[in-house]
Amino acid sequence: MAGTMTAPALDEAGANKKLRRKSSGRGTYVVLGLTALITLFPFYAMVIISLQPGVAISIPDSLFPTSISLDSYRDALDSQNIPQWAWNSAVYSIVSVVLVLLFASMAGYAFAKKRFLGREMIFWVFIAMLMIPYHLTIIPQYIIVGELGGLNTMWGMIAPTVANAQAMFLMRQFIKDVPDEIIDAARIDGAGEFRIYWSVVLPQTKPILATLGTFVFLWHWNDFLWPLVSQQSPGNYVLTVGLNTLQEQQVPLATLMASAVVTFIPALLVFIFLQRYFVRGVMMSGIK
Amino acid sequence: MAAVVTPVDQRPTSDPPQRKRTPLWRSKGAMVAYVFILPYVLFFAVFRIAPAIYGTVLSFGDFSLSGAFTLEGLDNYRRLFADSLFWNALRVTGIYAAIAIPVTVAISLAMAQLCNRVLRGMSFFRSIYFLPVVTSPVLAGIVFIWIFSADGPLNSGLSIFGLELGSWLQSSVLVLPALALVSAWLNFGYNMLILLAGMLAIPVDYYEAAELDGASTWQRFRKITLPLLKPALFFVLILETVKSFQAFDTIYVMTGGGPVRASYTLTYMIFDQGFGYFDFGYASATGVVLLIITLIFSLIQRRILGRDN
Repeated sequence: MAGTMTAPALDEAGANKKLRRKSSGRGTYVVLGLTALITLFPFYAMVIISLQPGVAISIPDSLFPTSISLDSYRDALDSQNIPQWAWNSAVYSIVSVVLVLLFASMAGYAFAKKRFLGREMIFWVFIAMLMIPYHLTIIPQYIIVGELGGLNTMWGMIAPTVANAQAMFLMRQFIKDVPDEIIDAARIDGAGEFRIYWSVVLPQTKPILATLGTFVFLWHWNDFLWPLVSQQSPGNYVLTVGLNTLQEQQVPLATLMASAVVTFIPALLVFIFLQRYFVRGVMMSGIK
Repeated sequence: MAAVVTPVDQRPTSDPPQRKRTPLWRSKGAMVAYVFILPYVLFFAVFRIAPAIYGTVLSFGDFSLSGAFTLEGLDNYRRLFADSLFWNALRVTGIYAAIAIPVTVAISLAMAQLCNRVLRGMSFFRSIYFLPVVTSPVLAGIVFIWIFSADGPLNSGLSIFGLELGSWLQSSVLVLPALALVSAWLNFGYNMLILLAGMLAIPVDYYEAAELDGASTWQRFRKITLPLLKPALFFVLILETVKSFQAFDTIYVMTGGGPVRASYTLTYMIFDQGFGYFDFGYASATGVVLLIITLIFSLIQRRILGRDN
């Protein structure tokens, strides 16, 4: 069998190459299209249901609606706390991104370019902490934030998330590649230490800042467990927690799905406009 | 005042007198460095290192709601190993991981192989596959509750083939496969990209040489792609192992650990004991066990996959 297969394949390899590519291309498109449809179905269902308030969802008829209405969106935005939750999510995500990038780049710069006592030790303690699962630390974190008076406050929700070890590690790797010459040149020109960091080093790290910023934003926007346990009053909820309470309160399915769509839109926009930074970040994490 | 000044004045004399360089920790550069790492170190110490130590300490004691902490040695662990709830959680976590890891990795690998070719519109398809990655698990949970419901689209589709399964999330048999499918949907795009990056790093010459020798597509995948993809595959495997041991959001939203604790995993138990019963010591002991299990599994996987590296 193997013998008979090998001989003709050898002969036809050159001649058939083009032909085979073409036919495999069409088959590939079918598979690609089908998997894309399966991947997109939950999004499609979410949008379709949100546009049909008051309709008992029957399958497959209601998946191809004849009439649509935006009532659920009006209901979601008026009678629910969604604008407030969206604001909380935005503050939680954006403030965290700014602080994570600032602290991580400052520390990353020091670890990459400065010599100081304890540098290696402190750095490896940080990396070792990556091994500790989040769920082990969430209870003591809750107690500590409580002791500091941070439960049910925005700063108490943000503070534990800003010391991000992965972000610092990446910043250090990236700043290491910034040539020493330009730093020395700035120093000879009389630039102060903060000035060197801010106007010489940081501009060199723009791509990694964009990648990290995208990651940190989406991570916070979709974060659930910590906002869930650290905020008790509904006015302080972020969108993910609010969405879950709506689900528990069994609001109409269309309203729930409309709320879900509203939750998803900012993440979608970030993804569309910053996709290349995000994709690069993922690929970087795999190669190393 | 004088008492404070004296030791500072004495310090230079106690140092070796011939030292030429200023000590590393006192040089100007070092002082600047300490200022630069200070905010990060401060937050990291308070909100990462302290909780990790505190969590381990908590597991050896009892933290009452009034804030009083008493050390009780191994009591929490003794109770844990005698608790059927814990053994159930361990079993559920194991079954969930045994389904979620292979399913997610297999789908990711297949999709990476599918996307690893030059075709018009390929980047568009890759973007679609990546979309679930930016979706919050809570949102995914809400939509998939409906998809897995008794008269949801999945059952409507399966009924064409004569399968009547009922609500997936209310079946103690189907609930874990359902959760694993949601996890696969959420994560395959991410893994796919990592594997794709690994595949793109394999020289095309290898495939061309194999094709000339008459190797089939499957043989090329089996003999060239898989062995050379090992580092990326290993990374994805570790990632999925950790994720499946720590799955929480979708379980909280979709099942609440049910039906009858059929999806009550170790992470769910930590949450339930900690924030449901406010038994912080007991929950922390569960957390320490989870940490140890995660470490053991990473070591085993490293041993098996890393043997011929």
